[in-house]
Amino acid sequence: MSVSALISLAFTAMIIENVILTQFLGICPFIGVSKKRSSAVGMGVAVVAVILLAGIITWTLYHYVLSPLKMEYMQTIVFILVIAALVQMVELIIKKMSPTLYKALGIYLPLITTNCAVLGVALLNIRKDFGFAEMIVYSLFIPLGFLLVITIFSMLREKIEMSPVPKAFKGTPIALVVAAILAMIFSRFGGLI
Amino acid sequence: MDILLPALVLGAIGFVLGLLIFVVSKYFHVEEDHRIEQIEAMLPKYNCGACGYAGCHDMATALLNKECIVSQCKPIKQDAKVALMAHLDQLFKAEKEG
Repeated sequence: MSVSALISLAFTAMIIENVILTQFLGICPFIGVSKKRSSAVGMGVAVVAVILLAGIITWTLYHYVLSPLKMEYMQTIVFILVIAALVQMVELIIKKMSPTLYKALGIYLPLITTNCAVLGVALLNIRKDFGFAEMIVYSLFIPLGFLLVITIFSMLREKIEMSPVPKAFKGTPIALVVAAILAMIFSRFGGLI
Repeated sequence: MDILLPALVLGAIGFVLGLLIFVVSKYFHVEEDHRIEQIEAMLPKYNCGACGYAGCHDMATALLNKECIVSQCKPIKQDAKVALMAHLDQLFKAEKEG
């Protein structure tokens, strides 16, 4: 695979096929942890680490363990096992490294396990028949797109907190409206490549 | 054989991951208030969430900070409840004096 193809794959993964706004995966932390920019960025970085590691481990397991043993049908269970264990480790590491971030993320940190973006990327790596380099690029730039969008969204939400919103729309409802407008903007990138 | 092999592979993967978590949890161990551990040991440890907290550990922390009361725990047995309340009283008394 040539370098230019990898670059276009990276761009596609990050912007055009953005995991939140066009694939609609990982909405739970997107709405839940985007009230403050610092915790949103923390969540984004944790998701980048988990998806990249999960992508590498599940791809390797699939191609060197499951595929030779003709056990492809076990992929979902094995992938979930790997993801759950990884999230557990990331949680322990964050607890030690940054207690403030650990407190800010709260229940959403163990919930990365059920963040469908993680399992989604692991399964897409297999379904799209990626080689090693493509897999690395894809599982790095998909969560970077997540980080980008959740950061933009948290900045918007910080502004919205201070603006006069009708009472019925305060909080999550207006956040969903903003997310819809963002998704419309991102859908315009569709014709680029 | 068709069943045994997947079971073995899955077991092996689970074992390796469990071992990794064990190593990480030892290496990144965080020293916590031992009083929380004591209170948690006296709760039922079902992690049912009926108290409104995300698990017994969270409720133990809240109990120590006087943010909730023991009867918020639904599945706790009567004698365990009495023992826990006595233990909490003792802790708060010690806190006042010390």
